[in-house]
Amino acid sequence: MRRRLAFELRFQAHPDSRAWNVAWSSSGTLLASCGGDRAVRIWAREGASWQCKCLLEDGHQRTVRKVSWSPCGNYLASVSFDATTCIWRKKEDGFELLTTLEGHENEVKSVAWAPSGSLLATCSRDKSVWVWEVDEEDDYECVSVLNAHTQDVKHVIWHPNGELLASGSYDNSIKLYKEEDDDWVCVSTLEGHESTVWSIAFDKTGERLVSCSDDKTVKIWKAYRPGNEQGVVCSGSDLSWKCVCTLSGFHTRPIYDISWCHMTDAIATACGDDAVRIFEEDPGSDPHQPTFSLTAHIPKAHTQDVNCVAWNPKQAGLLASCSDDGDITIWRYEFED
Amino acid sequence: RFRGKGYQEGFTEGGHLGETEGRRYGLANGAKIGSEVSFYKGFAFTWKCLLQKNQDAQKNSKRLKVLNTLLEMVQRFPYEDPTYDKLQEDLEKMRAKFKQICSLLNVQPACQNATAAGMSF
Repeated sequence: MRRRLAFELRFQAHPDSRAWNVAWSSSGTLLASCGGDRAVRIWAREGASWQCKCLLEDGHQRTVRKVSWSPCGNYLASVSFDATTCIWRKKEDGFELLTTLEGHENEVKSVAWAPSGSLLATCSRDKSVWVWEVDEEDDYECVSVLNAHTQDVKHVIWHPNGELLASGSYDNSIKLYKEEDDDWVCVSTLEGHESTVWSIAFDKTGERLVSCSDDKTVKIWKAYRPGNEQGVVCSGSDLSWKCVCTLSGFHTRPIYDISWCHMTDAIATACGDDAVRIFEEDPGSDPHQPTFSLTAHIPKAHTQDVNCVAWNPKQAGLLASCSDDGDITIWRYEFED
Repeated sequence: RFRGKGYQEGFTEGGHLGETEGRRYGLANGAKIGSEVSFYKGFAFTWKCLLQKNQDAQKNSKRLKVLNTLLEMVQRFPYEDPTYDKLQEDLEKMRAKFKQICSLLNVQPACQNATAAGMSF
Protein backbone atom coordinates (compact mmCIF):
# COMPACT_ATOMS: atom_id res chain seq x y z
CA MET A 1 0.00 0.00 0.00
CA ARG A 2 1.34 3.38 -0.92
CA ARG A 3 1.99 6.13 1.55
CA ARG A 4 1.69 9.87 1.32
CA LEU A 5 2.61 12.83 3.46
CA ALA A 6 -0.56 14.89 3.65
CA PHE A 7 -0.46 18.58 4.46
CA GLU A 8 -2.57 19.36 7.51
CA LEU A 9 -1.85 22.90 8.62
CA ARG A 10 0.70 25.71 8.44
CA PHE A 11 1.05 28.64 10.81
CA GLN A 12 3.50 31.43 11.44
CA ALA A 13 5.51 30.64 14.53
CA HIS A 14 8.25 33.24 14.68
CA PRO A 15 7.27 36.42 12.86
CA ASP A 16 9.94 37.92 10.59
CA SER A 17 12.56 35.44 11.70
CA ARG A 18 13.70 31.85 11.35
CA ALA A 19 11.99 29.00 13.15
CA TRP A 20 14.95 26.86 14.17
CA ASN A 21 13.52 23.93 16.06
CA VAL A 22 10.29 22.20 17.09
CA ALA A 23 9.97 19.62 19.84
CA TRP A 24 6.97 17.58 20.97
CA SER A 25 6.41 17.00 24.68
CA SER A 26 6.49 13.30 25.62
CA SER A 27 2.70 13.24 25.89
CA GLY A 28 2.53 14.50 22.31
CA THR A 29 0.05 17.23 23.19
CA LEU A 30 2.36 20.23 23.27
CA LEU A 31 4.76 21.50 20.64
CA ALA A 32 7.57 23.85 21.61
CA SER A 33 9.27 25.98 18.99
CA CYS A 34 12.14 28.43 19.09
CA GLY A 35 13.60 30.92 16.69
CA GLY A 36 15.61 33.92 15.63
CA ASP A 37 13.24 36.25 17.48
CA ARG A 38 14.90 35.04 20.74
CA ALA A 39 11.63 33.48 21.90
CA VAL A 40 10.25 30.05 22.68
CA ARG A 41 6.59 29.39 21.97
CA ILE A 42 4.43 26.58 23.26
CA TRP A 43 1.65 25.43 20.93
CA ALA A 44 -1.36 23.21 21.57
CA ARG A 45 -4.07 22.00 19.27
CA GLU A 46 -7.47 23.59 19.69
CA GLY A 47 -10.02 22.10 17.38
CA ALA A 48 -8.63 22.34 13.88
CA SER A 49 -5.94 24.87 14.61
CA TRP A 50 -2.86 25.29 16.77
CA GLN A 51 -2.76 28.10 19.29
CA CYS A 52 0.18 29.66 21.01
CA LYS A 53 -0.37 28.87 24.68
CA CYS A 54 2.78 30.43 26.06
CA LEU A 55 5.40 32.88 24.94
CA LEU A 56 8.72 32.50 26.69
CA GLU A 57 10.80 35.58 26.07
CA ASP A 58 13.40 37.42 28.17
CA GLY A 59 15.26 34.17 28.64
CA HIS A 60 17.83 34.68 25.94
CA GLN A 61 19.65 37.63 24.42
CA ARG A 62 20.11 36.03 21.01
CA THR A 63 18.59 33.41 18.71
CA VAL A 64 17.23 30.34 20.48
CA ARG A 65 18.56 27.38 18.54
CA LYS A 66 17.00 24.31 20.13
CA VAL A 67 14.52 23.22 22.76
CA SER A 68 14.15 19.93 24.56
CA TRP A 69 11.43 18.64 26.89
CA SER A 70 12.19 16.66 30.02
CA PRO A 71 10.68 13.14 29.89
CA CYS A 72 8.21 14.05 32.66
CA GLY A 73 7.00 17.03 30.62
CA ASN A 74 7.43 19.53 33.45
CA TYR A 75 10.63 21.15 32.25
CA LEU A 76 11.86 22.63 29.02
CA ALA A 77 15.48 23.39 28.20
CA SER A 78 16.32 26.02 25.59
CA VAL A 79 19.75 26.85 24.23
CA SER A 80 20.89 29.97 22.50
CA PHE A 81 23.58 31.72 20.49
CA ASP A 82 24.05 33.82 23.62
CA ALA A 83 26.01 30.82 25.05
CA THR A 84 23.46 30.02 27.75
CA THR A 85 21.00 27.23 28.49
CA CYS A 86 17.69 28.18 30.10
CA ILE A 87 15.66 25.74 32.14
CA TRP A 88 11.94 26.54 32.25
CA ARG A 89 9.50 24.92 34.66
CA LYS A 90 5.89 24.34 33.73
CA LYS A 91 3.24 25.72 36.04
CA GLU A 92 -0.57 25.73 35.74
CA ASP A 93 -0.63 29.11 34.06
CA GLY A 94 2.57 29.05 32.06
CA PHE A 95 6.30 28.58 32.41
CA GLU A 96 8.78 30.21 34.73
CA LEU A 97 12.49 30.56 34.16
CA LEU A 98 14.07 28.29 36.74
CA THR A 99 17.74 28.81 36.04
CA THR A 100 20.29 29.78 33.42
CA LEU A 101 23.29 27.51 32.89
CA GLU A 102 26.50 29.12 31.76
CA GLY A 103 29.84 27.70 30.81
CA HIS A 104 29.99 27.39 27.05
CA GLU A 105 32.26 29.94 25.44
CA ASN A 106 30.03 30.71 22.50
CA GLU A 107 26.86 29.68 20.62
CA VAL A 108 25.14 26.64 22.09
CA LYS A 109 23.82 24.55 19.20
CA SER A 110 21.87 21.71 20.73
CA VAL A 111 20.40 20.30 23.93
CA ALA A 112 18.96 16.93 24.85
CA TRP A 113 17.35 15.62 28.00
CA ALA A 114 18.28 12.03 28.93
CA PRO A 115 15.44 9.49 29.24
CA SER A 116 16.09 9.28 32.99
CA GLY A 117 15.28 12.96 33.37
CA SER A 118 18.30 13.55 35.60
CA LEU A 119 20.87 14.35 32.92
CA LEU A 120 21.04 17.05 30.30
CA ALA A 121 23.56 17.38 27.46
CA THR A 122 24.49 20.57 25.57
CA CYS A 123 26.96 21.20 22.79
CA SER A 124 28.46 24.29 21.28
CA ARG A 125 30.55 26.01 18.64
CA ASP A 126 33.29 25.93 21.27
CA LYS A 127 33.76 22.27 20.19
CA SER A 128 32.69 20.84 23.54
CA VAL A 129 29.83 18.74 24.84
CA TRP A 130 28.72 19.36 28.43
CA VAL A 131 26.81 16.87 30.57
CA TRP A 132 24.76 18.34 33.42
CA GLU A 133 23.10 16.52 36.27
CA VAL A 134 19.98 17.73 38.05
CA ASP A 135 19.04 16.66 41.55
CA GLU A 136 15.69 16.59 43.37
CA GLU A 137 16.11 20.19 44.43
CA ASP A 138 16.38 21.36 40.82
CA ASP A 139 20.09 22.13 41.20
CA TYR A 140 22.08 21.71 38.02
CA GLU A 141 25.72 20.69 38.17
CA CYS A 142 28.19 20.10 35.41
CA VAL A 143 29.40 16.50 35.61
CA SER A 144 31.55 16.49 32.50
CA VAL A 145 33.08 18.66 29.81
CA LEU A 146 33.98 16.67 26.71
CA ASN A 147 36.46 18.12 24.24
CA ALA A 148 36.48 15.18 21.85
CA HIS A 149 35.45 17.01 18.67
CA THR A 150 37.87 19.21 16.77
CA GLN A 151 35.21 21.58 15.44
CA ASP A 152 31.78 23.10 16.14
CA VAL A 153 29.43 20.47 17.62
CA LYS A 154 26.01 20.73 15.96
CA HIS A 155 23.83 18.13 17.65
CA VAL A 156 23.56 15.98 20.76
CA ILE A 157 21.13 13.17 21.39
CA TRP A 158 20.73 10.44 23.97
CA HIS A 159 20.41 6.75 23.23
CA PRO A 160 16.89 5.48 24.14
CA ASN A 161 18.32 3.53 27.11
CA GLY A 162 20.04 6.66 28.35
CA GLU A 163 23.50 5.23 28.84
CA LEU A 164 25.03 6.45 25.63
CA LEU A 165 25.30 10.00 24.35
CA ALA A 166 25.88 10.86 20.68
CA SER A 167 27.12 14.08 19.10
CA GLY A 168 27.56 15.27 15.51
CA SER A 169 30.02 17.91 14.40
CA TYR A 170 31.41 20.21 11.73
CA ASP A 171 34.46 17.92 11.89
CA ASN A 172 32.39 15.36 9.88
CA SER A 173 32.32 12.78 12.66
CA ILE A 174 29.83 11.35 15.12
CA LYS A 175 31.11 10.61 18.60
CA LEU A 176 29.58 8.37 21.25
CA TYR A 177 30.13 8.80 24.96
CA LYS A 178 29.59 6.59 27.98
CA GLU A 179 29.91 7.07 31.72
CA GLU A 180 33.01 5.44 33.19
CA ASP A 181 34.05 5.87 36.83
CA ASP A 182 31.95 8.93 37.48
CA ASP A 183 33.15 10.70 34.35
CA TRP A 184 32.00 10.68 30.75
CA VAL A 185 34.43 9.53 28.06
CA CYS A 186 34.33 9.26 24.30
CA VAL A 187 34.08 5.55 23.44
CA SER A 188 33.53 5.64 19.71
CA THR A 189 34.06 7.83 16.65
CA LEU A 190 31.95 7.19 13.55
CA GLU A 191 33.55 8.47 10.39
CA GLY A 192 32.23 8.33 6.88
CA HIS A 193 30.43 11.56 6.19
CA GLU A 194 32.32 13.91 3.91
CA SER A 195 31.05 17.04 5.54
CA THR A 196 29.34 18.42 8.65
CA VAL A 197 27.04 16.00 10.48
CA TRP A 198 23.98 18.16 11.18
CA SER A 199 21.74 15.75 13.03
CA ILE A 200 21.48 12.24 14.47
CA ALA A 201 18.58 10.04 15.58
CA PHE A 202 18.29 6.60 17.16
CA ASP A 203 15.61 4.08 16.23
CA LYS A 204 13.32 2.96 19.04
CA THR A 205 15.50 -0.04 19.95
CA GLY A 206 18.72 1.95 20.02
CA GLU A 207 20.35 -0.72 17.88
CA ARG A 208 20.55 1.65 14.94
CA LEU A 209 21.45 5.25 14.45
CA VAL A 210 20.78 7.50 11.47
CA SER A 211 22.77 10.61 10.60
CA CYS A 212 22.32 13.37 8.04
CA SER A 213 24.98 15.64 6.67
CA ASP A 214 26.04 18.66 4.70
CA ASP A 215 27.27 16.09 2.15
CA LYS A 216 23.59 15.52 1.15
CA THR A 217 23.57 11.90 2.32
CA VAL A 218 21.86 9.99 5.09
CA LYS A 219 23.77 7.14 6.73
CA ILE A 220 22.35 4.30 8.76
CA TRP A 221 24.66 2.79 11.36
CA LYS A 222 24.16 -0.50 13.18
CA ALA A 223 25.51 -1.53 16.57
CA TYR A 224 27.50 -4.74 16.79
CA ARG A 225 28.40 -6.52 20.00
CA PRO A 226 31.71 -8.29 20.69
CA GLY A 227 31.57 -11.84 19.38
CA ASN A 228 29.11 -10.96 16.62
CA GLU A 229 28.74 -13.38 13.73
CA GLN A 230 29.44 -10.82 11.04
CA GLY A 231 33.02 -10.47 12.13
CA VAL A 232 32.73 -6.79 12.95
CA VAL A 233 35.71 -5.89 15.12
CA CYS A 234 34.84 -4.69 18.61
CA SER A 235 37.20 -3.40 21.25
CA GLY A 236 36.67 -4.68 24.75
CA SER A 237 33.07 -4.91 25.79
CA ASP A 238 31.99 -1.84 23.88
CA LEU A 239 29.59 -1.77 20.97
CA SER A 240 31.03 -1.21 17.54
CA TRP A 241 29.05 0.87 15.02
CA LYS A 242 29.21 0.17 11.33
CA CYS A 243 27.65 2.13 8.49
CA VAL A 244 25.27 -0.35 6.84
CA CYS A 245 23.51 1.92 4.40
CA THR A 246 24.05 5.29 2.69
CA LEU A 247 21.16 7.11 1.04
CA SER A 248 22.56 9.41 -1.62
CA GLY A 249 21.10 11.10 -4.67
CA PHE A 250 17.84 11.98 -2.93
CA HIS A 251 18.68 15.37 -1.48
CA THR A 252 19.95 18.31 -3.53
CA ARG A 253 21.17 20.43 -0.63
CA PRO A 254 22.50 19.91 2.92
CA ILE A 255 20.22 17.89 5.16
CA TYR A 256 19.70 19.81 8.38
CA ASP A 257 17.63 17.47 10.47
CA ILE A 258 16.50 13.87 10.69
CA SER A 259 13.91 12.15 12.85
CA TRP A 260 13.24 8.43 13.31
CA CYS A 261 9.67 7.66 14.32
CA HIS A 262 9.57 5.26 17.27
CA MET A 263 6.07 4.17 16.36
CA THR A 264 6.25 3.58 12.60
CA ASP A 265 10.04 3.36 12.03
CA ALA A 266 9.73 5.94 9.24
CA ILE A 267 12.62 8.39 8.82
CA ALA A 268 11.90 12.04 7.99
CA THR A 269 14.49 14.52 6.70
CA ALA A 270 14.59 18.32 6.66
CA CYS A 271 16.58 19.71 3.75
CA GLY A 272 18.09 22.96 2.52
CA ASP A 273 16.19 22.50 -0.73
CA ASP A 274 12.95 23.36 1.14
CA ALA A 275 11.74 19.76 0.98
CA VAL A 276 10.64 17.17 3.50
CA ARG A 277 11.25 13.53 2.60
CA ILE A 278 10.21 10.26 4.21
CA PHE A 279 12.15 7.00 3.94
CA GLU A 280 11.21 3.52 5.06
CA GLU A 281 13.17 0.30 5.21
CA ASP A 282 12.17 -2.14 2.49
CA PRO A 283 10.29 -5.14 3.87
CA GLY A 284 12.51 -8.20 4.13
CA SER A 285 15.75 -6.24 3.70
CA ASP A 286 18.93 -7.80 5.07
CA PRO A 287 19.53 -6.36 8.55
CA HIS A 288 23.26 -6.14 7.83
CA GLN A 289 22.81 -4.47 4.46
CA PRO A 290 19.40 -2.83 4.73
CA THR A 291 17.80 -0.97 1.86
CA PHE A 292 15.55 2.02 2.26
CA SER A 293 13.13 3.64 -0.17
CA LEU A 294 11.85 7.16 -0.52
CA THR A 295 8.14 6.83 0.29
CA ALA A 296 7.12 10.48 0.30
CA HIS A 297 8.59 13.74 -0.98
CA ILE A 298 7.18 17.25 -0.63
CA PRO A 299 9.43 19.47 -2.79
CA LYS A 300 8.09 22.78 -1.50
CA ALA A 301 7.27 21.88 2.08
CA HIS A 302 8.37 25.40 3.01
CA THR A 303 9.45 28.48 1.07
CA GLN A 304 12.97 28.34 2.54
CA ASP A 305 15.36 25.86 4.18
CA VAL A 306 13.64 23.33 6.41
CA ASN A 307 15.52 23.37 9.71
CA CYS A 308 13.76 20.69 11.71
CA VAL A 309 11.43 17.70 11.48
CA ALA A 310 9.91 15.97 14.48
CA TRP A 311 7.62 12.94 14.72
CA ASN A 312 4.94 13.09 17.40
CA PRO A 313 5.82 10.45 20.03
CA LYS A 314 2.23 9.38 20.67
CA GLN A 315 0.28 9.95 17.45
CA ALA A 316 1.63 7.74 14.69
CA GLY A 317 2.25 9.62 11.48
CA LEU A 318 1.97 13.13 12.88
CA LEU A 319 4.98 15.18 11.81
CA ALA A 320 5.95 18.78 12.50
CA SER A 321 8.46 20.77 10.45
CA CYS A 322 9.78 24.30 10.71
CA SER A 323 11.77 26.55 8.46
CA ASP A 324 13.81 29.70 7.87
CA ASP A 325 10.52 31.14 6.60
CA GLY A 326 9.32 31.27 10.23
CA ASP A 327 6.49 28.78 9.73
CA ILE A 328 5.61 25.49 11.35
CA THR A 329 3.83 22.93 9.19
CA ILE A 330 1.92 19.92 10.51
CA TRP A 331 1.80 16.84 8.29
CA ARG A 332 0.11 13.48 8.44
CA TYR A 333 1.93 10.43 7.08
CA GLU A 334 -0.72 7.96 6.07
CA PHE A 335 -1.76 5.28 3.62
CA GLU A 336 -3.21 6.48 0.35
CA ASP A 337 -6.80 5.40 -0.14
CA ARG B 1 77.66 16.86 -9.89
CA PHE B 2 77.29 20.55 -9.09
CA ARG B 3 73.60 20.04 -8.77
CA GLY B 4 74.21 17.35 -6.19
CA LYS B 5 76.62 19.57 -4.28
CA GLY B 6 74.13 22.45 -4.38
CA TYR B 7 71.44 20.18 -3.05
CA GLN B 8 73.69 19.01 -0.19
CA GLU B 9 74.57 22.55 0.81
CA GLY B 10 70.96 23.63 0.62
CA PHE B 11 69.82 20.69 2.68
CA THR B 12 72.41 21.37 5.38
CA GLU B 13 71.57 25.07 5.45
CA GLY B 14 67.87 24.23 5.66
CA GLY B 15 68.56 21.79 8.43
CA HIS B 16 70.33 24.45 10.48
CA LEU B 17 67.57 26.98 9.98
CA GLY B 18 64.95 24.38 10.80
CA GLU B 19 66.74 23.37 13.96
CA THR B 20 66.97 26.96 15.14
CA GLU B 21 63.33 27.62 14.38
CA GLY B 22 62.30 24.35 15.97
CA ARG B 23 64.24 25.12 19.11
CA ARG B 24 62.64 28.54 19.39
CA TYR B 25 59.18 27.08 18.78
CA GLY B 26 59.76 24.30 21.27
CA LEU B 27 60.92 26.72 23.93
CA ALA B 28 57.94 29.02 23.42
CA ASN B 29 55.38 26.23 23.36
CA GLY B 30 56.97 24.39 26.22
CA ALA B 31 56.80 27.55 28.29
CA LYS B 32 53.17 28.10 27.33
CA ILE B 33 52.12 24.57 28.21
CA GLY B 34 54.22 24.61 31.36
CA SER B 35 52.63 27.78 32.60
CA GLU B 36 49.12 26.60 31.73
CA VAL B 37 49.54 23.31 33.58
CA SER B 38 51.13 24.92 36.60
CA PHE B 39 48.30 27.45 36.67
CA TYR B 40 45.89 24.52 37.03
CA LYS B 41 48.05 23.06 39.79
CA GLY B 42 48.11 26.29 41.77
CA PHE B 43 44.42 26.90 41.19
CA ALA B 44 43.45 23.39 42.31
CA PHE B 45 45.65 23.46 45.43
CA THR B 46 44.29 26.84 46.48
CA TRP B 47 40.66 25.80 46.09
CA LYS B 48 41.35 22.50 47.81
CA CYS B 49 42.64 24.38 50.86
CA LEU B 50 39.71 26.78 50.79
CA LEU B 51 37.12 24.02 50.55
CA GLN B 52 38.68 21.85 53.22
CA LYS B 53 38.24 24.70 55.67
CA ASN B 54 34.58 25.05 54.76
CA GLN B 55 32.04 22.99 56.68
CA ASP B 56 29.56 22.34 53.88
CA ALA B 57 30.62 18.72 53.47
CA GLN B 58 28.16 17.31 50.99
CA LYS B 59 28.51 19.85 48.22
CA ASN B 60 32.24 20.15 48.77
CA SER B 61 32.94 16.43 48.54
CA LYS B 62 31.91 16.50 44.89
CA ARG B 63 34.03 19.58 44.20
CA LEU B 64 37.02 18.15 46.08
CA LYS B 65 36.74 14.98 44.05
CA VAL B 66 36.95 16.92 40.79
CA LEU B 67 39.80 19.08 42.12
CA ASN B 68 41.70 15.94 43.07
CA THR B 69 41.13 14.51 39.62
CA LEU B 70 42.61 17.67 38.11
CA LEU B 71 45.61 17.43 40.43
CA GLU B 72 46.11 13.81 39.45
CA MET B 73 46.09 14.80 35.79
CA VAL B 74 48.70 17.49 36.48
CA GLN B 75 50.79 14.95 38.38
CA ARG B 76 50.62 12.37 35.61
CA PHE B 77 51.52 14.86 32.86
CA PRO B 78 54.89 13.89 31.36
CA TYR B 79 56.96 17.07 31.65
CA GLU B 80 60.09 15.36 30.35
CA ASP B 81 58.71 13.92 27.17
CA PRO B 82 57.58 16.24 24.34
CA THR B 83 57.18 13.28 22.02
CA TYR B 84 54.45 11.72 24.22
CA ASP B 85 51.80 10.81 21.67
CA LYS B 86 48.83 11.76 23.82
CA LEU B 87 50.18 15.16 24.81
CA GLN B 88 47.49 17.25 23.13
CA GLU B 89 44.75 14.81 24.14
CA ASP B 90 45.74 14.91 27.83
CA LEU B 91 46.06 18.67 27.71
CA GLU B 92 42.53 18.94 26.27
CA LYS B 93 41.23 16.66 29.01
CA MET B 94 42.88 18.87 31.61
CA ARG B 95 41.33 21.97 30.08
CA ALA B 96 37.92 20.28 30.08
CA LYS B 97 38.33 19.28 33.74
CA PHE B 98 39.31 22.86 34.58
CA LYS B 99 36.19 24.21 32.84
CA GLN B 100 34.04 21.74 34.76
CA ILE B 101 35.51 22.74 38.10
CA CYS B 102 35.02 26.43 37.28
CA SER B 103 31.37 25.70 36.57
CA LEU B 104 30.99 23.79 39.86
CA LEU B 105 32.74 26.50 41.89
CA ASN B 106 30.93 29.21 39.98
CA VAL B 107 34.11 31.14 39.19
CA GLN B 108 35.12 32.84 35.95
CA PRO B 109 38.89 32.78 35.89
CA ALA B 110 41.08 35.07 33.84
CA CYS B 111 44.72 34.17 33.51
CA GLN B 112 47.10 36.64 31.96
CA ASN B 113 50.48 35.29 30.99
CA ALA B 114 53.55 37.46 31.40
CA THR B 115 54.48 36.72 27.78
CA ALA B 116 52.75 38.13 24.71
CA ALA B 117 50.62 35.03 24.16
CA GLY B 118 47.87 35.50 26.73
CA MET B 119 45.39 32.80 27.58
CA SER B 120 41.72 33.49 28.07
CA PHE B 121 39.28 31.09 29.57
